Amino acid sequence: MSQSNIRFEKVSKSYGTLRVVDDLDLTIDQGEFLSLLGPSGSGKTTILMMLAGFEAPSGGTISLGSRRIDQLPPHKRNMGVVFQNYALFPHMSVAANVAFPLEMRGTPRSEIDSKVARALDMVQLGTMKDRRPSQLSGGQQQRVALARALVFEPSVVLMDEPLGALDKQLREQMQLDIRALHKRLGLTIVFVTHDQSEALTMSDRIAVFNRGKIEQIGTPREIYDQPRSRFVAQFIGETNLVEGTLAEAGDTGATVKLEGGGTIRVQPSDMAMDAGRILVSVRPERIRLGPDAASENSYPATVTDAVYHGDHLRIQLDNGAFGFVAKADRRTAEFNPGDKVVVSFAPSDCWMLPT
Amino acid sequence: MRAANLVKLLFGVLAVVFLVAPLVAILPLAFTSSVFLTYPIPGYSMRWFNELANANVWRMSIINSLIIGTGTTLLAGTLGTLAALGLRNAGLILPGLFRTAFLLPMVVPAVVLGVGMQVFFVHLGLANSYAGVIAAHSVVAVPFVVVSVTASLAGIDRRVERAAASLGAAPFTVFRRVTLPLALPGILSGAVFAFATSLDEVVLTLFVAGPNQRTLARQMFSSIRENISPAIAAAAFLFIIGTLLIAAVALLVRRRTERLKQQVVEV
Amino acid sequence: MSDTSAKGRLGALALVAPLVLFLAIFFAWPLVSMLKEAVSDPVGSRAFPLTAAVAGDWDRQSDPPQELQQAFIDDLRAIDDQQLLGDAVRRLNSAQNGFRTLMGRTMRAVEEQPQGPIDLVEVDKRWADARFWRAVADSTNPYTDRYLLAALDYERDASGRIEALPAEASANTAILLRTLGIGAVVTIACALIGLPYAMLAVSVEGWKRQLLLGAVLLPLWTSLLVRTAAWFILLQEQGLINDTLMSLGLISRPLPLIFNRLGVVIAMTHVLLPFMVLPIYSVLLSIPRNLMPAAASLGAPPWRAFLRVLLPLSLRGVVSGSLLVFMTAIGYYITPALIGGAQDQMISSVIAFYAIGSANWGMAGALGAILLVATLALYAVYGRLSADRAGGR
Repeated sequence: MSQSNIRFEKVSKSYGTLRVVDDLDLTIDQGEFLSLLGPSGSGKTTILMMLAGFEAPSGGTISLGSRRIDQLPPHKRNMGVVFQNYALFPHMSVAANVAFPLEMRGTPRSEIDSKVARALDMVQLGTMKDRRPSQLSGGQQQRVALARALVFEPSVVLMDEPLGALDKQLREQMQLDIRALHKRLGLTIVFVTHDQSEALTMSDRIAVFNRGKIEQIGTPREIYDQPRSRFVAQFIGETNLVEGTLAEAGDTGATVKLEGGGTIRVQPSDMAMDAGRILVSVRPERIRLGPDAASENSYPATVTDAVYHGDHLRIQLDNGAFGFVAKADRRTAEFNPGDKVVVSFAPSDCWMLPT
Repeated sequence: MRAANLVKLLFGVLAVVFLVAPLVAILPLAFTSSVFLTYPIPGYSMRWFNELANANVWRMSIINSLIIGTGTTLLAGTLGTLAALGLRNAGLILPGLFRTAFLLPMVVPAVVLGVGMQVFFVHLGLANSYAGVIAAHSVVAVPFVVVSVTASLAGIDRRVERAAASLGAAPFTVFRRVTLPLALPGILSGAVFAFATSLDEVVLTLFVAGPNQRTLARQMFSSIRENISPAIAAAAFLFIIGTLLIAAVALLVRRRTERLKQQVVEV
Repeated sequence: MSDTSAKGRLGALALVAPLVLFLAIFFAWPLVSMLKEAVSDPVGSRAFPLTAAVAGDWDRQSDPPQELQQAFIDDLRAIDDQQLLGDAVRRLNSAQNGFRTLMGRTMRAVEEQPQGPIDLVEVDKRWADARFWRAVADSTNPYTDRYLLAALDYERDASGRIEALPAEASANTAILLRTLGIGAVVTIACALIGLPYAMLAVSVEGWKRQLLLGAVLLPLWTSLLVRTAAWFILLQEQGLINDTLMSLGLISRPLPLIFNRLGVVIAMTHVLLPFMVLPIYSVLLSIPRNLMPAAASLGAPPWRAFLRVLLPLSLRGVVSGSLLVFMTAIGYYITPALIGGAQDQMISSVIAFYAIGSANWGMAGALGAILLVATLALYAVYGRLSADRAGGR
């Protein structure tokens, strides 16, 4: 079990003429927390289901370590799966649910009882073992599902939007719990979600999916700060995209000529850029308002709208050539429609990508 | 507004009386001491229940009904449950066609089917045999089983079965430990329906059964036609009490299943 | 498991196969045999195989050719199954009066001269009449439309043209019309009670609704025979209804309630009412509860809101309920058989009479075919309607 990473090689999946997963190559390292993120219909759940064995790939291979697993039936894959809506057995008690995978593996009765007890303690449900799933709250059901998927000590755990049905507070608590379990048990976790903030806070790496293909894969920081396509830039967080042409590029940065006149200095990129049109992405919270002589990128603009959001102000700006959205700390100043301001942003906060 | 409510109340009471009164009216006559099926009842006795239990035609017909009902329940229950499981499988070709075909016996008039069976069973050598009557009853009982089991299978979250597989259960184990227990209420109520259908079947019995397979319903039919006696009321009493018991059991089973499934609906 | 692989497909087929096989043998095949009875006429072709072989060459207009006559004589010489011969004579006699005596005489002549040609006209001069030969030739066709025609009160005349039976012999049309009439009256009665009943059930809540629904479901669950027996007891001359009305002094003589049309309609309405109430109820239940208040807020008085909003929306339920009730009603046997008089028997009773009473499979099959086609047509409409509803939302 030294090198038991998961490898997808040229995997595709079609339903009739509809291609849901398209020529996927992906390696998941042992012990890694990988999130599959994308809008619904992007193929992320299909990939998880192929990994779990519920869908057969139309082409390509999936392997775990040196062993090919795509022909293996689900019950022989030995992966813990946590389903959307938990999929607890409604006709069994909590303890029987958790004991189920151990029974399937022929674990002796005495051992089963102690392992079940330990697993339930781990998710703080030791006192609930004789209840039926329907007598538990959503969060408790979720924890039973987790205990059930972990009790047989699988090295890989697959999670299909496991927190989608929980309310916000509970969801955030569970995110921390799962993260802690991941660290403590050294699990490989493949986590499907459509919630970008969940993916950003939990993952070692995120794979962003669009139309059956990986748009970008990388650490949360890379995905957020250095999106490599318009889709990723817009899907993760909020951003301002400005069109222009690449005027000059060097090791320390590049200059982009804007449509409506003026230039923006941006940080250097390892992506090959066409000589033609490119996009510049600037996150709203990186935009500073007010005169800032030190900045290379500063423009006069007019406030067109300002909306109070509690922890920040959301300000709509227009400088004649392009529109901006900025998030401002509400302590800095009051802004009203019609106010003239200067917006500026550091070149290191500007990222260019192909159109 | 008050007049409208009065009309509503009156209509409701009359309609409920129309629906229920006949069933209530027949009950006391089961205990009459008279030989006539009329009110007022001169005195009460158990003589007609004794008649059911002891008179040869009635006793034989009750035994026949139990034999044929049990056979029908087993045959229709098995065939219908298997078919419902097949219908649920996404890999089945032309599922709509199969579903319609399985429901057709409910639609075809019993007399038409009876004529066909009478002709055909003679060729097959099944006329006047228990096997023939059980097969005939199973044809009309099986749609109820298919409908009932299909409904209970539709209520099972497929992810629960997938969860079982992911936890290491082989396909047959998934079926035995998860699908079957969850579908059991539907299978049981399908079986009850099949038994009730067989118990109540007259027309097909008329065509395919010989004198040795005379069932209780068939006996009641000819008794109403030829020599009406309060034994009919006694038999009807048993039927109605049986119905109420079955309804009560079905209600309990449904309550239990709904509690189990609540979780799936809530989240 | 939702398995669309070839193995899964095979597994699914294996699961439905036993029931498909069972229904093919015990449901479809009997229906096919019944339909075959309606159009088959095997006696002539089995009794006279040689005649059958040459009958097609004769145009039925000219004099019967020698080969036909000789084939018929050879057939008569070859017959040794007395029962088959008897059936054949009966079959011929039903097509053309006089065959009984004619065949008796002819058989004797054939037995006296077991070899060579016989001049049949010499045996009996009726053989000179082409009508008798036509009957023989026609009887050798294994298929016939005469039962189907007879079921609709038609027959073929001597020249093979289809013509209506004389009025005094045409009982079947009357029975078909009566069946449709009783079905219609029962359907209307069910709709008139069922629609307000379902509306009432939707408009109340709690135990009242449970009571109204229970009152519909209890009869539905109760044995049809028990319900019919109950009505028998209520409607009979010294039944509860007559007794009550007499003791109240409302009538002086018992009303005739049983063994007539009124009794049949009352009992069938009771039996079929649940099939009307339940579809309407489920449609009404799916109508958002705030539509009537919405109509009121837009200025509609209650009765107009009812006519313009609730009634059109519930019509779907009424239509499916009506189809269901009508379809079931026209096939009813038990209730008319027990509660009705001779003048209230519907098509099912006539079919049962032909099949059980007089062993006339041809007529039973033909009338059965008509009832089967009518029922399946109504079911197809019903299926289309409910499919629309399921998909149209």
